[in-house]
Amino acid sequence: MSSTSVYPTPINAFKQSKRSVLSVIVDNEPGILARIVGLFSGRGYNIEALNVTVVDVKKNLSRITIETLGEERVISQIIAQLEKLVPVHSATNLANLSESYEAEICLVKIEFENEEQDQKILNFADIYRSRTVQKRENIVVYEISGTSERINKFLDDLDTIGGIKVELVRSGPIGLGI
Amino acid sequence: MNNENEFTGADILLKALKDQEVDTIFGYPGGAVLPIYDAIFGQNFLKHVLVRQEAGAVHAAEGYARSSGKVGVLLVTSGPGVTNVVTGLTDALMDSIPIVCISGQVPSHLIGTDAFQECDTTGITRPCTKHNYLVKDVTKLSETIHEAFKIANSGRPGPVLIDIPKDVQFAKAKYIPKKDISFREHRIKAGSKSVDKNFVEELVNHIKKSDRPIFYVGGGCLNSGHQASQELIKLVNKTNIPITTTLHGLGCFPGEDKSSLGMLGMHGNYEANLAMNKCDLMINVGARFDDRVTGRLDAFSPDSIKFHIDIDQSSINKNVKVNFHTNTDITLTLKEINSFIESNNIDFSDKDYSHWWGQINEWRKKDCLHYEQGDEVIKPQHAISRLYELTKQKDTFVTTEVGQHQMWAAQYYKFSKPNRWITSGGLGTMGFGMPAAVGAQMANPDSLVIDIAGEASFLMNIQEIATAVQYKLPIKIFILNNEYMGMVRQWQELLHGSRYSESYVDALPDFKKLAESFNAVGVRAKNISELDDTINEMISIDRPVIADIWVDKKENCFPMIPSGAAHHEMLLSKYDKENPENQEKGKVLV
Repeated sequence: MSSTSVYPTPINAFKQSKRSVLSVIVDNEPGILARIVGLFSGRGYNIEALNVTVVDVKKNLSRITIETLGEERVISQIIAQLEKLVPVHSATNLANLSESYEAEICLVKIEFENEEQDQKILNFADIYRSRTVQKRENIVVYEISGTSERINKFLDDLDTIGGIKVELVRSGPIGLGI
Repeated sequence: MNNENEFTGADILLKALKDQEVDTIFGYPGGAVLPIYDAIFGQNFLKHVLVRQEAGAVHAAEGYARSSGKVGVLLVTSGPGVTNVVTGLTDALMDSIPIVCISGQVPSHLIGTDAFQECDTTGITRPCTKHNYLVKDVTKLSETIHEAFKIANSGRPGPVLIDIPKDVQFAKAKYIPKKDISFREHRIKAGSKSVDKNFVEELVNHIKKSDRPIFYVGGGCLNSGHQASQELIKLVNKTNIPITTTLHGLGCFPGEDKSSLGMLGMHGNYEANLAMNKCDLMINVGARFDDRVTGRLDAFSPDSIKFHIDIDQSSINKNVKVNFHTNTDITLTLKEINSFIESNNIDFSDKDYSHWWGQINEWRKKDCLHYEQGDEVIKPQHAISRLYELTKQKDTFVTTEVGQHQMWAAQYYKFSKPNRWITSGGLGTMGFGMPAAVGAQMANPDSLVIDIAGEASFLMNIQEIATAVQYKLPIKIFILNNEYMGMVRQWQELLHGSRYSESYVDALPDFKKLAESFNAVGVRAKNISELDDTINEMISIDRPVIADIWVDKKENCFPMIPSGAAHHEMLLSKYDKENPENQEKGKVLV
């Protein structure tokens, strides 16, 4: 038996915004990042995460990876707009490739107070195969990588341990099509 | 060290402009461009037109480009010089007009110090240009200029800005001519070079199958060149398909031809909008489904298969989802369609679409552009109609400002050739028309150039009348003077209970005396009996003329699709009442 919701569901909820990871190859020249960021803010798109690095010194190319949210039509429009920028060689939605891999790196600094917490932290770190970067008396720094989802899950698990202090930095996802 | 193969940055700029066959530049001097102005002083291939404010330079460059098909060029100084052109650059970006703007910048070592007349030019103009550069190294200058021209004029054209610090204008380097530059393909964005055969075949098959086809043609057809228009005429004649054009498409197809339904959209013809609403096949040639054209999107042409030819990938499926598209140049694509039809001996004579034309002719009977001209007060529509009748034998270029007069010009002035109609569509820039007329007259010294204006728009760049006088440009400014910001007043009347908040222009100048004070000529028509004589007098004077035409103050521009309404919900006259539900929705739209 199905019951009716006591609250109406907004129609927009069906226009699901999908998470997409865009990979953009650009000429590494002054202002290119501003062009891309300006395109997103000017046209009202979201940037959830952003990563920029030179990937080919000889050809002077950078790869920019952008995690964004939007309906499929919006994502196609973003790609078309990106490809109009003069220094952009290509813009690809990794989700549209038949095979692609994604990873993110995260450094987590955890301050704990007692051994019980230490044990729990160690246990999660072990499950997620995170690498210990540094360990002091009551501070530990881990490096964990993988999909963003995996990192989210690790952080959620850490969150279940009460009374610890967590500080972290994430690279944002990067990805590559095959 | 004096190497005779080396030139200063300022000289390199001039060499590059010569190489690009630029013979006219619009500009205004200032501290950060003095070396360039010094180089201009010592040469004679380049005619510099001194405007009176930089906004005038950029609109003049737009008018020059639109009326000539060439790239328009302007030169401005740093700081306020360049911030004054921001509106014009945005205008050119929206309307796909190829211009190159050279701006001076404070010396490199002062950048970032809040120096006098310093601003972040590339930062400010990034979103309003197709591309921009800050040239910090004089050895890169030649290549940058040539690439800028290439980008401005390739694919979907647009404005490009080159910011040159003053020290770079003095520094020396070798000049690299255009022929020695190899452009990097990915930066030029020229669209696909080969025609999509599949698209062509699908289109021809759909034309054969369709009962109610229509061509919807936009400014892209204009930008593709005169040949695009020739191929379009050929295709329309062969297929007998009705054609409607956007504001910018006017002139791509002869406006008085029997196949032409005129302009569509918010103030478009009834038959054009109804035909768009009821068609079963829409062939979009270089138009971008702008909101002024589509009306309410969910009711836009609900039953049609849509084909879209547009060199700009981002225009495809942006506002309206289409069934077939191609990103190839319009001339190439239309040519291929025509030759496909010829080589396959496809005959459309059995497809005369007589039922469709019958329906369209029924809509035409509504005579949506009808107006009642009395014996006294001049109706603005009548003023344009008479202007058209009295100038149509000449090779006339018409520019406009923005507002009611602009829509009346689009409705009542008929264009038979491309590039004769120069208006600010996308951005809707009041003050565009007069400087644009200056540019158009520079490009076409022997033609009649008329700026159809409203008195409010005209006042926005009035200083440029001095430019026209200085260079003996016999432009005509034809003001439909109703003492209101007419379009604002019209919307207030329709949507805001006739509360005319700040739309009455009090304390107007005497335009006749104003013209005289600038050493131009002023003429005036106060009533219908003076209209034709005034127009003829205006045309006959070989000097800049301001014609002050007193028109009906309360006339509104119809037909009209109010914001938020659909094509078939047009208002034909002030007696038509708008659906109140749409009115509420429309109020929040633009």
